[in-house]
Amino acid sequence: MKKGQKLIDAEKNFSLWLVVAAVSHALLLFIAMYLQILDAGKHAKPKLLSVSLVSLPGTGGFNELAEKQGGTKTISTPSNVTSHPPVNKKIVKVKAPIPVPEKALVQKKKIVIEPLQPKVVEKPADISKALERIKLNVEKKTTPSQPSTASNLNDALAQLQKKVKSQGEMTGVGNGGGRGSSSTGRSSTGKGYGGGGPSAPYKAGIASIIMQNWEFSKLLLKNSYGMQVYVRINILANGTISQIVFDKRAPSEYLNNSVKKALEKSSPLPVLPKEEGASDIWIGFVFTPEGIEK
Amino acid sequence: MLNSKLGIFGLLSDAGPVVLFVLSVLLSFSIVSWAIIAFKIGYIRKSLNESKAFLDYFFEIYNVDKAFTESENFRKGSLPRVFRAGYIEYRALGEKTDIRQAKARIARAVKREVNAESKRLSSLVPFLATVGNTAPFIGLFGTVWGIMTSFHNIGTSQSASLAAVAPGISEALIATAAGLAAAIPAVIAYNYFTQQISIIDRDLEEFSPEFVSAFINEP
Repeated sequence: MKKGQKLIDAEKNFSLWLVVAAVSHALLLFIAMYLQILDAGKHAKPKLLSVSLVSLPGTGGFNELAEKQGGTKTISTPSNVTSHPPVNKKIVKVKAPIPVPEKALVQKKKIVIEPLQPKVVEKPADISKALERIKLNVEKKTTPSQPSTASNLNDALAQLQKKVKSQGEMTGVGNGGGRGSSSTGRSSTGKGYGGGGPSAPYKAGIASIIMQNWEFSKLLLKNSYGMQVYVRINILANGTISQIVFDKRAPSEYLNNSVKKALEKSSPLPVLPKEEGASDIWIGFVFTPEGIEK
Repeated sequence: MLNSKLGIFGLLSDAGPVVLFVLSVLLSFSIVSWAIIAFKIGYIRKSLNESKAFLDYFFEIYNVDKAFTESENFRKGSLPRVFRAGYIEYRALGEKTDIRQAKARIARAVKREVNAESKRLSSLVPFLATVGNTAPFIGLFGTVWGIMTSFHNIGTSQSASLAAVAPGISEALIATAAGLAAAIPAVIAYNYFTQQISIIDRDLEEFSPEFVSAFINEP
């Protein structure tokens, strides 16, 4: 009887310790969770980096070069929009080795490191300085160098012109270039060509929108180096992209798909400007991952 | 509730049922282990201390009646319990019982109590050994299962990037970590308790004959 009572007491004692252990485990888990929440709260705000999108490799240079070569118009991202009047209806796509300034490279690296950074902050002062520097670099490198590249490009552009003319949809003349960094930290380069004239800011605007929506992994840059995607899009008056035509597809389906997704994601674009006067408009773009890693 | 920022808890929210089951088993193992550790550490320590105090008193006075009275103050000590068992048997003997028979009966009673005390001391301790031995393997099972699932998902999603592979493996490794967290204290406690219990057992084995002879030779 006594032994039975002792056993019950021991069991009771053990049950008490069992409850204590369970409670302490729960408490420990809660403390760990609380500490993690606290830690997550500390690191929640990503460090904001001031990055200027001055790495438009051909904006200024392209403009001047194109003008020298027969008058073209550049469409670039909004931060570098230049609205020169159209000279003729030739579409010239100049592709030259584009020097990337060291500063721009460093800034890009920063973007990759901070993938949570939602927006890239632009600095107008830096842009102007960097533009000047880019202009100088491009002028230096493009004038005497690489005739073969230029001839290839001219061939490609001639083909494009034929196609565009056959479509009879191109209303303006121009050539644009731009490079942007998407919000996800991925960097890519895109060049646009299309009509100039009063709709140039509009085209620059849509180039920027597409650029923002273009997500292209840097991991595939090695494979897709030198690849190009020539694509035309038909934009209705209300801004909807009604048609996407790939004039030249890249060997990498990933690049092609990324371009297609970017265009689909960008639809609907802003409404066509009234000056355009047309019910729809065709705009061509050249997407290339070049110039990111050298 | 748990987003990805919350480290392992965020990962657990995405864990599969098998991994969660393994983790819950390991958690229960850990709870029971700690309860045993807390329960036994007090029990064994009291037993050791009270045994030591009783022995000091017993050899000081060498009177079984007084020792029995004093043993009432050491109710949780192993040696006082054995002594009490022998004393009760000794008092139960009649006047006519011869010495050899009386000695045998007292020795039997003492032996029985020694065995009972050994059992009492070592109860629940094997569970610690079980946890120490099996918890890492259970955790490993959870990890293997989690990695299997993770690789299957990678195959399904057709993406082999680090971003696709790492979370699954990280989530799976939590099971191994939990297994080790349950096993390490259990093994440490098991080794400590077995050592302490062996000390008490040795005392019981050595001093039981002393008690028997004390009863028989009592003036």
